[in-house]
Order: sequence, then structure tokens, then C-alpha cells
Amino acid sequence: MTPTPEEAPKPQGAARLYVAPSRYRTRKTILNDALPYLAISPTVVTFAVLLGIPLVVLFATSMQKFGLFELLNNVTTWVGLDNYYQVLFQTPAGLPDFVTVVIRTTVFMIVNVTLTITLGTLIALLLEKLNKWVRLILTGTMILAWAMPVVTGVVLFQWLFDSKLGVVNWAISSTGIFGNYLNHSWFATGLTTFTVITLLIVWQAIPFVALSIYAGLLSIPRELSEAARVDGGSERQIFRHITLPSVAPLMMMLIFLSVIWDFKVFTQIYAMSLNAPDNTMTLSVYAYVIGISDQQYGYAAAASVVMMLLLLFALVPYIRRMINSLEDQ
Amino acid sequence: MSRTARRVALNGIGLLAAFFFAFPVYWMVNTAFKSADQFQTYVPVFIPDFTLDNFTKALNQPHFIDFVRNSVFVSFFTVLLALVVGFLSAMALARLRFRGRKGFLLLVAVAQMAPFEALLIPIFLTIRNGLPGPLGFLPIGYNQVPTLILIYFIFTLPFTIWSLRGFVAGIPVDLEEAAMVDGASRFQAFYKVTLPLLAPGLVATSIFCYITSWNEFLYANTFMSEQTNYTLPVWLVSFRTFLGTDWGATMAASTLFTLPVLFFFLIIQGRMVGGLAAGGVKG
Repeated sequence: MTPTPEEAPKPQGAARLYVAPSRYRTRKTILNDALPYLAISPTVVTFAVLLGIPLVVLFATSMQKFGLFELLNNVTTWVGLDNYYQVLFQTPAGLPDFVTVVIRTTVFMIVNVTLTITLGTLIALLLEKLNKWVRLILTGTMILAWAMPVVTGVVLFQWLFDSKLGVVNWAISSTGIFGNYLNHSWFATGLTTFTVITLLIVWQAIPFVALSIYAGLLSIPRELSEAARVDGGSERQIFRHITLPSVAPLMMMLIFLSVIWDFKVFTQIYAMSLNAPDNTMTLSVYAYVIGISDQQYGYAAAASVVMMLLLLFALVPYIRRMINSLEDQ
Repeated sequence: MSRTARRVALNGIGLLAAFFFAFPVYWMVNTAFKSADQFQTYVPVFIPDFTLDNFTKALNQPHFIDFVRNSVFVSFFTVLLALVVGFLSAMALARLRFRGRKGFLLLVAVAQMAPFEALLIPIFLTIRNGLPGPLGFLPIGYNQVPTLILIYFIFTLPFTIWSLRGFVAGIPVDLEEAAMVDGASRFQAFYKVTLPLLAPGLVATSIFCYITSWNEFLYANTFMSEQTNYTLPVWLVSFRTFLGTDWGATMAASTLFTLPVLFFFLIIQGRMVGGLAAGGVKG
């Protein structure tokens, strides 16, 4: 039996951390009122110091002339929006063209997201149709690919696509369809490097998408499709009018997450093309190379702000969804 | 097409897909167990002769122990810090009503989406010379290993709060109250009833934090300049300078690096699919 508030022992001091206070309004002390704020204060301080300050510094740096000289001598030179102007329209000497980088990043993101979501959905639908053992094998192998650390994936794909001894070149040559690929260098041009990077990203991203959608498919009540079938609905109609609408919100969330992940991806691109990063440079690599390698902090910060604004644009539906779901909390 | 033919075809496609997912992993392990003349052939060898030479070579790399120690040290304290701080906030969010609760919840959700790739420059500029004011004594700064703990802590904290909050909310308050009716003190009720029920949640959340910090490359690569301060991912990526094109040793090192992640990942895999609503589980 659940005790009524009158019968329940009165909680004392700090020990009442996990009591829903609405049921225990009787003893109100200052400590009890302060308790939630004490509990969240470490997090608030962490957010303020490690997210808030960097955010302010980011905007401040983006509006300063900030290079190695300024860093070492602690000089602050405000230049307003000049960094943005320079980066966007002037392409300072020695820097790659920013607009090209933005376009490249966007195209790269669209290709990766499209491939991931399409193949992931197909595999989820396939999983439903497989017999038990094949499904188990496919799920197991997908988890292997998913669990692989990104840096391991990078090193591994470099080995698979190695020009001399790589197994991929051997396999392509053996089929004979595409001619002789032995000694073909995948990392010589931007496009082929991107091909390998995309294969790696999609290989690792499909499992999450496929298994999530599969879980979503399983949660659709069977009665729905059975009722439709009884009423004479075709398989196609059931898919169109029952399956698709049921997983649509989940797919929106997956697309949204993939857009964010693939837009800001760094490690796969940077580590895969360590030797020639110029023609595979995307936004996050650009910010790293300009800022950390070339020590042009002002330009790098301006580029990062642009990147963040583009991401924020993509974040709007997520934040809206969060606010909506907060209504039921 | 008949029903049976269709079924066979679909299962065939399923096996083909499984092949593509498994092959790279198989190739990594396969290469790791090959002798030197086996991985230096144009026609690849599909069954290795199971030598342990590559593992010995990887383990005997200069500073290998340093890299392992750094990685373990950073991951361990990241998990600890995120769990303690995250748990307090999760408890407050799940069990207490207070002004600003929804705002705080939204803050956590948004922080989880923070683009740390875009925050690299300001975080680097902010803490390369250590923390400000009273925290200045901490060994935080450029080329100091504990810096990574702080950075991975903020990476993982939002998810930790979000995840633990879900687990705490899933435990009915009634259970504790029942224990207290039976004579347990509030502390005992928490310790003996809630905590054991919370254990799977704590384990799953700490595994997530561990995997994130164990795998991280960008910040470790930016902040650590001296080789002895590298973590395993930084070392693995810069392997060419260490191992040349010794793919056998490289794959052995990759296998060793991956094994603990794979082990822990299998434990929490089911939850990661279910926890999609929490977002941002890919790291």
C-alpha cells in the first residue's frame, strides 16, 4: 500500500533528494528549496565555463585580428566583421577558397545522408523479411561495423584500399569488369578519396539507422495491417498507408541527426587524407588547418561561426521538437 | 517469382549485406595474424597462419604503454566525473520539481547537440594556458593529459544527465516509500532499493562515456604535442611514422585498440537503439 503524505515519514534535510516534493509540501525548509539548485550547480558551472566561455571567445575571436603574434604578445586588435569579409569574399593568401569548402561540405553531407538513409531503410525492411538465422547474422555483423572506433575504421580502410597490397584493388581487378586496378591509387584525387571516406562513413552509419527503423517497424501494432488486409488492402497500400506513416517521425529524426553528424564530420576526412588535405577539405577540417596548423585564429573563428550558424539552421527542428516534448515532462 | 524463390533471394541479399559489413572487420583480424610474407603479397591470403608476431611488435612499440596508460587514465576519470556530476543533475530532474527545471532540461538537450568541431578554436585559446582564477593550479593546458578529461567531460555530460534521468524516472518512487514503511531509513531505501535498480543504467551510461573518450581524436590530436602524451587514437592515426607500412603490426594494434570497445559496445547495444529519442549517441 502506498502511504498517504500524512503517514509517510517526514524526510529530513539533504536526504530527501529524490522525493517528489509535490507530495511532501508539509516541511519546507531553506535547504529543501535550495536542494535542486545545489544538485544542478556543478552542471551549470561546467556548462558556463566549458561551453559558455568558449562560445563568447569564439565570437570575440572572430572579430579580432588574431594570429600567432597576437597570441604570444597578448594583444587585442578588434577588426569588426573584417575576418568574415576576408574569409567569405577575399580568400586571404595561402587559404583555400571558403565558398568552395562550404559547397563541398554540403554536397558531401547530402551524398552521405542520402546513402545512409536509403540503404539503412532498405536493410530495415529486408530484416523483417529474413529468416531468423540470416537476420541474426546480419544484425551481428552490423553491430561489428557500428562498434568499430572511427580511427580504427580509417586505418582499416586505408589498408583495404592500399594501392599496392590492398584487397579491394585485387578484388576489382579479379572481376575483370573495370579493367586492371592493381596499383590504382585511391588517395591521389579528391573524388576517389571522398569515395573511400563515404564508404567508411556509410558502412558505420547504416547499422544505427537500419536497427532503429527496424525497431520502429516492429513496434507497429500487427492488428493494423491485419485489419487492412481483411478489408482487401494490397501489400503496397499497407506499406504506403500504415508502415510509412508509422516510421515517418523516426525517420525525420534519423535524417536530422545524420545531417548534423555528416556536416561536421572531421576525423574520417582529416585522418584519411593526412597527406593531401586540400582537395578533400570540408568545413571542420578547414577550421582546424587554418586555426591550429596555420595559427590564423581570427579567420578560423569566423569560419567556425559560419559553420555553427549553418548547423543551427539544421538544429531548429530539433530544438522545436525538444520544446514540444518538454510540454509533457 | 514463387514465394520460395523470393524468400531465398531475399535471404541471399541479406547474407550478401552481412558479408559487406563483416569483411573489413575480418580483414583487420586476418591481417593481424599474418606473418610478414603473407600480407606483402599481391594476391591476398585469406587464411592467416596465426602468428602472434604482429601483436608482439605492436606491444613493443616505443611508448605503447604510455599511450595505453594515457587513454585509460583519461577515460576513467571522464567516466567518474561525468557520472558524479551527471547523477546529481539527473536526480534533480527526475525527482524534484523546481523553478527553471524545463529551462535546464532544454539547456541539456541543446548542449548535447553542441558542435565541438566548431568550438575547437575557442576551447584551444581558452584553456591552452590553464584554467582561470582559483582553478589555475590544475594541470590543465596545452600538452597536459588531464586537459582531455575536462574536454571529454563536457562532451559526455549532457548525454549522461539525459540518460540517467531516464533511468531514475523509470524507478517508481513508491518502491522507496514501501521500503520506508517497512522501517528502512531514507538512506537505506536509496542504497538498498533504488541503487541496485539503477545499476544497469549507471553501467550503460558509463560505457557510453568510456567509448566516447576512448575513441576521441580531434581534441587529443590538437592538445597533445609530445609523443608520450598521445592517446591511442592519435598514435594509431599517425602510425605511418611509427610503423612505416607494416600493415601487420598496424592491424594488430587496431585490433587491440578495438577489442575493449567492442566488448563494452555489445553490452549496451540494445539500449543505444532504444535511446534514439535522447539523440546524439554516435559521438
